[in-house]
Amino acid sequence: MSMHDPGDSARRLRASAERALELMRAHGFEHAQASAARVVRHELNFNFNEPSLMRSTDVERLALSGLVDGRKASTELGEVEGGADLAERIAALHADARAAPQDAAHAVSAGERARIVQGPPEADLRLLADTVAEVLDVRAREAPKMMLEEGLAAHALLEAQTLTSGGSDLACRVGWYEASVMGTARDGQRASSFNHAGGRCHDLRGVPIVERFGIGAMLHDTQRQVDAQPIGASFTGDVVLMPQAVADVVGWLLGQLSDPALIARTSLYRERVGSPIGAPLLSLRSRFDAPGIAAISADAYATAPVEVLSGGRLCTLLPSLYGSRKTGLPHVPTPGGGWELDAGPTPRSEVIGGVPRGSLVGRLSMGHPASNGDFSGVIKNSFAIEHGEIAGALSETMISGNVAQMLKDVTAVSCERIDTGTLCLPWLRIGGVHFS
Amino acid sequence: MSAIATAPETTRATYAESRRHELRKTRLVMIDGSLSVNASSVEGGASERVYADGYWGFASAPTTDDASVARVRRQARENARAMARFGARAALRLAGGTHRGEHAFAGRKPLTPAECLERMGSLNAWCRSRYPKLKSVQVMLQQEHHRKWLATTDGSEVLNSIQRAACYVTLVAENDAGAPVELLERVSGKGSLADLDLSIESLAPRLDRTHEHLQAKRHAVPARGGRHTLVMGPNLAGILAHEAMGHPCEGDIVLGGAVTGDLLGTRIASDLVTMIDYAHHRDGEELMIPVYADDEGMPARDAVLIEHGILKEFMQSRETAARLGMAPTGSARAYAPGDEPLVRMRNTAILPGTSRLDDMIAGVDDGYLLLDTSNGQADSTTEFMFGINLGYEIKGGKRGRAIRDTTVSGSAIKVLQSVDAVSDDMVWSCSGYCGKKQPMVVSMGGPAIRAHAHLGGE
Repeated sequence: MSMHDPGDSARRLRASAERALELMRAHGFEHAQASAARVVRHELNFNFNEPSLMRSTDVERLALSGLVDGRKASTELGEVEGGADLAERIAALHADARAAPQDAAHAVSAGERARIVQGPPEADLRLLADTVAEVLDVRAREAPKMMLEEGLAAHALLEAQTLTSGGSDLACRVGWYEASVMGTARDGQRASSFNHAGGRCHDLRGVPIVERFGIGAMLHDTQRQVDAQPIGASFTGDVVLMPQAVADVVGWLLGQLSDPALIARTSLYRERVGSPIGAPLLSLRSRFDAPGIAAISADAYATAPVEVLSGGRLCTLLPSLYGSRKTGLPHVPTPGGGWELDAGPTPRSEVIGGVPRGSLVGRLSMGHPASNGDFSGVIKNSFAIEHGEIAGALSETMISGNVAQMLKDVTAVSCERIDTGTLCLPWLRIGGVHFS
Repeated sequence: MSAIATAPETTRATYAESRRHELRKTRLVMIDGSLSVNASSVEGGASERVYADGYWGFASAPTTDDASVARVRRQARENARAMARFGARAALRLAGGTHRGEHAFAGRKPLTPAECLERMGSLNAWCRSRYPKLKSVQVMLQQEHHRKWLATTDGSEVLNSIQRAACYVTLVAENDAGAPVELLERVSGKGSLADLDLSIESLAPRLDRTHEHLQAKRHAVPARGGRHTLVMGPNLAGILAHEAMGHPCEGDIVLGGAVTGDLLGTRIASDLVTMIDYAHHRDGEELMIPVYADDEGMPARDAVLIEHGILKEFMQSRETAARLGMAPTGSARAYAPGDEPLVRMRNTAILPGTSRLDDMIAGVDDGYLLLDTSNGQADSTTEFMFGINLGYEIKGGKRGRAIRDTTVSGSAIKVLQSVDAVSDDMVWSCSGYCGKKQPMVVSMGGPAIRAHAHLGGE
């Protein structure tokens, strides 16, 4: 059903981007960028422990950005060809740009080239069905208390073509598979917190689904979380963040290194490149070739590999072209994801074993950390750790601290990691966290 | 009804719906006078969802011409049939109900891009001039307009047009250590940006108040972690309603194992608490997200979730109503053209009581006053959380020092059972998104509430 000629599709996207760029020039834009993209997706969904829905979607996007007299506007249209009124839309975009304030930081990329082809281009629907059957089978056999509220196995194909008036020409055809599971364990009237796991890969074959994305561990852990108790005391202790919780810490750091925080000067790290900002155990780098990622930035640059943290030292900030020109910081293009924290030298059991009193944290349920890094949150899908041993599951337990300080207070990094495609992260042990 | 989606065929399907869906958005972001985002989008498409032989099939396309509609119709049926691979299954008797009508908000003529930018520029300049010591001023304008034409096999033909707009102003200062401290003021409402009063005259008192709070927050102290008496201002009651008991009262969450499934008819809150998910009107006034019929063509009605402390009912789609054997509420909505309808809240509120906010504060010897929130999260256990970005200590019945950003949490049932005062006023907003597989526009409202809950801190 997703059969199509990749050559035809690429030609169609290119023709659309060329036509849009030409129309933009004709309407008076001095610089312009046109991106035509299509995502075809097939999903097999399950709800309430049963197969439920097959879903096929075809989503198109024509994204246009234009500059005139140092003024910029952008628009996205829901059809690759832009619809019958494309010329009218471009005229409106020109009016939007004309109304905007001048800003010398606006620019479009020039001379960039990329052709990225990766991942499976066609959906194997039998594989999707087999994956759903496997998940439901495992649940019934190994985690019978789990009620899988929703989950899916899916295939997606992203095809895109970006052209700029500066001669940049970037194209991609990226296919990937996905699987995800979300649910709650029930035992009589007692219920666990909901939990989830999932990720992207190039093939769902070869490895049992329970060994992918932490799905198997999530099912087993959640069953043990039906009998959860508050931690019952306020104290300062250690947390071992599981990869899903580590993602929140990494997300906060990446936000601090990106445009809004850099432009508004609210970033704690704007002047810290070259300085240690984290524990020497921490190294964060890109994996822009990960499943589902096209190594092309939204501002039309091919994205080279980036090392963000090396042994705790900040190697770079991540401003876009606009952010760079606005702040005078070096431009570092990034796509929308694809990061990994290096594995550490310590087996996970020893990471946990080194905690005298604290918690193994599956998920942080919290408000956005403040600009200065202060946070507090409820720890969900979590267990107490006493004298290095995992004890009972926790409920109604909060932790608070400062994310910037937590990066410095990492005392162990596991050698095991969970690879969800867009992120590959280990377990981290962090000291000095307040429990209440 | 010329623009209506064509009625789906009934062959083999026990139920089917066709939707034509257009979603227009505008987003403008100005950071310290520089326009960093000046973007608009138009997303459209046709979709078909079919229920046949106990399984669902869904398909969508980005275009709405006859050929595309025919293609998604065929594909949705093939998809439902393909599910037979998992074995024969008895079909549920989906809840019935039809609605025919067109519902659109007649707002003011939309602002032109130049008018939007003029308002942002004025706001930025006014903030800069009035509060010269601020580190940063950020202004964001957003509006979105959903138009959905729906036809179902059981005879519904509906146009739902929902528009909402919001303005956000973030003021950033520095604390004594030079670290950034920020607060957000937001205005939201039904319609487009033209329907919001973004004049300086209207916003100045609110921004002055926000700036005063920001100055207090520069010297904020950490909250003491643990269970406390909390007076939660009207801006918080809506999110309390939404996160604490709203999500656990959605039919699909109940089917997914939420503890509320076993509590219908029992006392789960103080008798001061009544909570309703309104469909479209309250006290004769149309609400911010009016849903007259949902995206399954089901007539929408109010869902009285908690009445004087007793759990009364859940929000339902056609399927969850059938599975739970309960009455439908018209709560199934889809966000984007390629999304299928899910059970979603509409306008969720805790109803006002009879207390006065000042008296509620005066009645607390040692506790906290919480005034603004960032985001929140629900759980199947009803253990909710939401972020607090503006709060104060209460000492001896008086407002004390500001507290740093924190999080409030607790079991919704324990927290709502501890409610001992509900104020007589009410505040509505529709500025954020609810996230549950898809985003969704919702509104929430409520009065100030005094209860015991857990606060994160040292």
